[in-house]
Amino acid sequence: MDAIERRAFIKGAGFGALAFTVGGADVLLTPAEARAQGVPLRTLKPDEAATIEAVGETLAPGARKQGIANFIDQQISIPAEEALLEARILNVKPPYANFYRAAIGAINNASIARHGKRFAELDAATQHDFVDQMRQNKLDGWKGPPGPFVYLVLRSDAVDVVYGTMAGYASLDIPYMAHIAPTKRW
Amino acid sequence: MANEKVDVVIVGAGASGSTFAAVLAKAGKKVVLLESGPDWQLSDLISSDIWGRRVKPAGAPFLLEGKNPYGYAYQAGWGVGGAALHYFANFPRLMPNDFKVKSEHGRGLDWPISYGDVAPFYDRVADDLGVSGDAKAEERWRPPGKPYPMPPMKTFKNGDVWLKGFEAVGIKMAPAAVGMNSVPYKGRPACIYDGWCHVGCPIGALANPLVTYLGDAKKAGAEVRARSTVTRVLTNAAGNKVTGVEYFDAKKERQVQEASVVVLAAWAGQNPRLMLNSATDKHPKGLANKSGLVGKYMMAHFASGTFALFDEDVENHMGTVGAQYFSYDRYDKTTHKNAFGSTFIVAGTAQKTSDLGGFANARLDLFGPALADFMKKAKRGLTRISAFGEEMPNIENRIELASEKDAFGMPLGKIVHSFDQDAVALWNANFDEGLRVAKATDAKESWSARGNQPTIHLFGGTIMGTDASNSVVDSFGQTHEIANLYVAGPGMFPTEGAPNPTYTIFALSLRGAERLAAQWSSVAG
Repeated sequence: MDAIERRAFIKGAGFGALAFTVGGADVLLTPAEARAQGVPLRTLKPDEAATIEAVGETLAPGARKQGIANFIDQQISIPAEEALLEARILNVKPPYANFYRAAIGAINNASIARHGKRFAELDAATQHDFVDQMRQNKLDGWKGPPGPFVYLVLRSDAVDVVYGTMAGYASLDIPYMAHIAPTKRW
Repeated sequence: MANEKVDVVIVGAGASGSTFAAVLAKAGKKVVLLESGPDWQLSDLISSDIWGRRVKPAGAPFLLEGKNPYGYAYQAGWGVGGAALHYFANFPRLMPNDFKVKSEHGRGLDWPISYGDVAPFYDRVADDLGVSGDAKAEERWRPPGKPYPMPPMKTFKNGDVWLKGFEAVGIKMAPAAVGMNSVPYKGRPACIYDGWCHVGCPIGALANPLVTYLGDAKKAGAEVRARSTVTRVLTNAAGNKVTGVEYFDAKKERQVQEASVVVLAAWAGQNPRLMLNSATDKHPKGLANKSGLVGKYMMAHFASGTFALFDEDVENHMGTVGAQYFSYDRYDKTTHKNAFGSTFIVAGTAQKTSDLGGFANARLDLFGPALADFMKKAKRGLTRISAFGEEMPNIENRIELASEKDAFGMPLGKIVHSFDQDAVALWNANFDEGLRVAKATDAKESWSARGNQPTIHLFGGTIMGTDASNSVVDSFGQTHEIANLYVAGPGMFPTEGAPNPTYTIFALSLRGAERLAAQWSSVAG
């Protein structure tokens, strides 16, 4: 059996899309589909999701459309041992919702202190400058998980939804070459 | 609830536990492996960095302290197969100078054995699991040992483009020895170079426990109980024998598994935690801890990574995630002035887009449109090399019990870890040399992957030595104080060397397990 045949032979044994709750029933959707369909958030409040989307879009353009807020919301709503967040391998202590809530709070408090507005309300250039300062731990009065670590975790989430999926590989024209492909191109 | 007594209960179903299980089950012993995580199958190993995180640690976290907190979660295991379910399968050997650091340099520790004691087991493991490599190309470094059973793996441009640079600075590279199939081996297929090794190889071309020793163990009758979290090792009233373990099953119900022998193979982090939590009036500081050394001398590797960006397509999506080439040319402990410790160099790796090793992280400073631009450039031309450095054992680097408890009432483990000045100096020296290598290639850009000094692999905590005054176990993993309690895995290493540890873990486990089987009546009786 040659390599390509073997790849095809074993394809499809796994599961892929995430379980979102729609109308009281669990359905499998990608985060981008969940966002497009307006799937209700389970854990994040709307203003928290707005912050995640704004930070994610600043970090990796396309993260908003690819459903970064729905991804994180779904992931912090399931048991930690099932989570697919990079926070898991960055030694964030579960429950992961605690970290994200603290990070969102730190970002918005610093944004209000610096600019008088929440992060999502800033213009794109100011958002970019704010994230650059957060990355370098240069935001005065920052209270929460260290700014560079918040940058690392949220940047990883944004990279996951934009570049880490099969669709993300396709957008970069990189052959994905799965042994076992995640379904729904996720 | 008590279960029927067995001959051996093994805590952990990763590399070392699987090896003990295979040897002892084949020797006719009734073996039970208790594994805290899920019962992974090959079909669970989805080719995705995102989904691959499912096989990384969950459950009770470790608390992390020190100047260089130990980042365990990327590299430790969770479930049947352990960390070896998602390891890179680089199979370098330790070198003779690793076993006598104290004798030869007056620092660190000596092993109670020499390279010659382990060498036959390296050869046996290579035959059992399948190792691809080119022993002849390694002749300038390689101590005695049999040739590898398979020819070396294919190489790709992402490795080949570095050879010019290494040659320019006088570093000889050889095809890397890896626990992967370059050709079909023992019914397992050859690798197809898709670069998903780090999330688990579902075709069995990579020698993970499911398709090697654990498979052998199950065929010989060993039983694996997943989602079984061991919380204590139990002893008799006199405190001179272990009698089994206490664990919590998938329904979170307390169980007792009695056994004639207990093997702790739950990783360098969990083994000391278990031993410390098993204190009794006869062992007030924890089991086999008269020396006070349980949990001490924790060590980690560190890596100095160098990235280079080429105009040409270096096929960076192809290959394996471990290495295509390796070198021991900087392995002498005193290679670098003002630093101390061995360096092990690797080149050529498949790279994916995301996750810790993905090429988005090659420039962590970039975000927004600059990151998008970089991803487009990196997708064809990015490649990297890594130099792994050795940390000397330091008794202050340790695991201890915290006051905070897990879901089963067991204290969390706390890992305290800091690199000393020698380790920092070696890290820096390897960055400097890596950049010299890169500048001597045809790359249009190159840079050091600097950040916080990384912690890679985990060693120590139950080190081997000559007696209970200087160590926890002997060279076979048998604890000095309790004859029927064994410890297996990287926790036994008194020094870590610089290469990836799993080949040595397999070799030491095979050696320890065969000795236990041979001396069964005196140990278990």
